[in-house]
Amino acid sequence: MSEPLLTVENQRTAFATGRGLVRAVDGVSFTLERGRTLGVVGESGSGKSVLSRSIMRLLPPNARSSGEVRLGGRDLTAMSEKALRALRGPEISIVFQDPMTSLNPVMTIGAQIGEVLTRHLGMSRKAAKARSVELLASVGLPQPDVRVDQHPHQLSGGMRQRVAIAIAIACEPALLIADEPTTALDVTVQAEILDLLARQQAERNMAMILITHDMGVVAGRCDDVAVMYAGRIVEQASTEDLFRDTRMPYTSALLASIPRLDDPPHRKLEAIAGRPPDLIHPPAGCAFSPRCRYADDLCRSQPPALEDAGRGHRFACWRPMTMEAAE
Amino acid sequence: MADITPDRLEGSSAGAPDDNADAIASHNRKNRLGLGFWIPLAWLAVVVAAAVFADFLGLFPADEIDWMHINEGPNDAHILGTDHLGRDMLSRIIYGARVSLTVGFAAPLIGVGLGLVLGILAGYYKGWVDEVIGIAIDTWLAIPGLVILLLFSVVFGGSLGMVCLSLGLLFIPTAARITRAATLNHSNREFVLAARAMGASDFRILTVEVLPNIIWPLIAFVLIDIPIAIVIEGALSFLGLSVKAPTPSWGGVIAEGREHLEGSPHISLIPTAVMFMTVLSFNLVGDAIRKRLADVRDGAI
Amino acid sequence: MRYLFRRFQRLVVVMVSVTFLTFLLVNVLPGDVAYEMAGMDSSEEEVQAIRDELGLDRNVVLRYLDWAGGILTGDWGASFINKEEVWHALAQRFPVSLELMLLAQLIALSLAVPMGLISAYRPGGRADRVIGTLAFASVSMPSFMTAILLIFFFSLHLGWLPATGYEPLSAGLWENLRPMILPALALGLVEWTVLMRTLRAEMIGVLQENYIALARAKGMSDARILLVHALRPSSFSMITLLGLQVGRLMGGSIIIEQIFGIPGIGRLLVHAVNTRDFIMIQGCVTLFAIAFVTANFLVDIAYAWLDPRVRLERARG
Ligand SMILES: Nc1ncnc2c1ncn2[C@@H]1O[C@H](COP(=O)(O)OP(=O)(O)OP(=O)(O)O)[C@@H](O)[C@H]1O
Ligand code: SF4
Ligand SMILES: [Mg+2]
Repeated sequence: MSEPLLTVENQRTAFATGRGLVRAVDGVSFTLERGRTLGVVGESGSGKSVLSRSIMRLLPPNARSSGEVRLGGRDLTAMSEKALRALRGPEISIVFQDPMTSLNPVMTIGAQIGEVLTRHLGMSRKAAKARSVELLASVGLPQPDVRVDQHPHQLSGGMRQRVAIAIAIACEPALLIADEPTTALDVTVQAEILDLLARQQAERNMAMILITHDMGVVAGRCDDVAVMYAGRIVEQASTEDLFRDTRMPYTSALLASIPRLDDPPHRKLEAIAGRPPDLIHPPAGCAFSPRCRYADDLCRSQPPALEDAGRGHRFACWRPMTMEAAE
Repeated sequence: MADITPDRLEGSSAGAPDDNADAIASHNRKNRLGLGFWIPLAWLAVVVAAAVFADFLGLFPADEIDWMHINEGPNDAHILGTDHLGRDMLSRIIYGARVSLTVGFAAPLIGVGLGLVLGILAGYYKGWVDEVIGIAIDTWLAIPGLVILLLFSVVFGGSLGMVCLSLGLLFIPTAARITRAATLNHSNREFVLAARAMGASDFRILTVEVLPNIIWPLIAFVLIDIPIAIVIEGALSFLGLSVKAPTPSWGGVIAEGREHLEGSPHISLIPTAVMFMTVLSFNLVGDAIRKRLADVRDGAI
Repeated sequence: MRYLFRRFQRLVVVMVSVTFLTFLLVNVLPGDVAYEMAGMDSSEEEVQAIRDELGLDRNVVLRYLDWAGGILTGDWGASFINKEEVWHALAQRFPVSLELMLLAQLIALSLAVPMGLISAYRPGGRADRVIGTLAFASVSMPSFMTAILLIFFFSLHLGWLPATGYEPLSAGLWENLRPMILPALALGLVEWTVLMRTLRAEMIGVLQENYIALARAKGMSDARILLVHALRPSSFSMITLLGLQVGRLMGGSIIIEQIFGIPGIGRLLVHAVNTRDFIMIQGCVTLFAIAFVTANFLVDIAYAWLDPRVRLERARG
């Protein structure tokens, strides 16, 4: 079997802060095949963004990182900054959460797309501009030939996110990371953007990591789902398995918070009780144990390992739930 | 949302996540007062001491003309040499320090004092008081400082007191703005509203509740202004518009030496060096103290 | 629009109070211009005649109104001393001072921008610390001291550049620039530090923005990120400062023109003060104030160029 597109091996990322070392990503491993979509789900602060920046090797100076990230057979952790720059754009790209702040306010839309094309594809400025208009059209931006000369503040949030997507797909990367691409947008626009991402991914045969804290987003759109808690993957499976055969109590709590179509209106979402763990002094055993209603002494003293229960369904729990319990 | 963004452009620092000892150590190192603080402080101590005790140092009189020894370089009798009238350079520099230091300390205090009053009035009473003071400050700012000083020096003459006062006036606008902003900020806080509700007088509220809260930024401001005042006084006396002639001042001595730069450069260059070191020292020491004040305040809150 | 109108109102009030304040100050200048004009051996009657002619005995406010009315109709008055038209004198000297200040600001900017970029690139790094130290040394070195050192070194020691003098542009560009280099350096070498520090501080903030992270994710080089992505959004405070600095620059040019014998407004002013030439002093200060206000208006325009959001508001009115 050929090597998967992306292999992340025991990635750890911690930040040195005044209060101590924040272990934001704490031993994450997974693989992603070409053209497939992996959903990464978790509460705010669970380390999703840090994981995506670790994959892109875009970490702030106070970050300590270890582990291995291989993209198409190359170990990114061993590459020079210069070599990495050549990969960012043509091989791997990212769409950020907040389209309001992720575009440069003083540069035109065209300049922001065009520079990727001139930098990586060696296009002339003129060709880059023409291509930018095409890209804007392909992400469904109305009047692309007008918009290309405008500045970000002249566009709505949804339109800006389309621009950000156009930038990300400009060089047809093998891997696209979408870090909560719709969280900052109106509900009505969210589905459109997600559909756009799915369409582009299919057309260009990109692999995608779709980061979200919303299980509902993952449901119809990902091949596999990884659930993160306190910097670790606590459960991972094909989307179908994960929804049908939830093993980890935290996953089940996340699932319980999705609004369903058949819910009575105004049903209160079941928020997960308790606070996310302290990443500087994590709990001794299972990180979820302070909030888990099944926790026992073993849970509180020994961390459970992430184990494969067959068919690629992995979870880390001493007392996995059965199907009935999840019901 | 805790989106991470690189806070500077640098390759990611690879390496295993180990303990945070070095991060904390480097944090501490930054806050310790190093040689960059103590050496300038020592220099300032020497300058201040020399200026204060000038009369007991057994120096040549600063204005004693000696035609037999003009334009002499440093020698045994005159450690720093003599000027074009044979006057002792060391003595002129030390007595000149008196002028520079007096102006350096007095002018910022005067300016900040007056700015404080105006700023508090503007920030506390707002409305037309604020408007009038605002216009006054804009007016003041639209005239170059040196022009004001030029006119003042001709109108009011060059006594040391007048120099301090007119120079102090230049520091009013910024001090007033800082105070106004801080007062606006504080006069709506709960403790002020509470005091007012309990019937405290405006004066009491301003001095007891507001003043202590705005004193820190002003102290920092005075620290910045000391070297600036020394520099401006230097410029004034260089133009001959500061204290009157026989009284030596650094700018004046430098200006006198200008004519003799070719043959006896020491007359200008030595006071230039002394003034440079003094101003630099005030800048360095002031900066270190300001950082300290900020740390203490941040730690306290 | 309302905002612009309010600003303009305020501007007018400031101009009036600046000129009136100078008028008052100038009028209490000791010494009687009438005596000086009449000459040493003139009778009391002759002096009084001059006073009457100039209206010196009239109320200050009335005389101010006269003068202000003159300014509004383009009549700046004539020197008491040599009858030279004030407007003419100013028009002749102003370009000289302007050139000096522009060159100085150019030098300051061409130091401040690269140094600020390098400092902000790795705050706390070696380059940042070296530049920080340099900046401390520079602010501690007022322009008249720099001028002395420059003259000593480049004029007397090396003999490369003249220590004094001025050549009009008609004498040729290089002939005109040559004597301006040292004066402009003396002025610019103080001013760059404030600009640099402001740029550095703002840029450190901008470099943490999401759009910079995205630029990195796009594979842009550090140099391109600094120059193309970060510089413009980082220069707002620095541009504002450029306007405010004009005041300091004008003050500095008075000294520098004096030291280097440059026939600009500064020299004109010092001469006018020494000869108690009221009307000329008044003209110089008014011109300074106008220049200051204009410079800050230009800064507003620069803002609009830097920030498309402002530009749009302007277009809408
Ligand atoms: N530069 C940094 N320095 C210190 N701690 C950081 C830094 N960046 C992130 N963290 C911490 O790392 C943890 C994980 O953050 P991350 O942004 O990955 O969360 P997330 O899962 O993306 O959350 P969200 O859904 O809110 O985006 C958080 O506790 C955050 O405070
Ligand atoms: S290991 Fe124990 S505490 Fe952790 S999720 Fe499983 S049951 Fe809950
Ligand atoms: Mg995130």
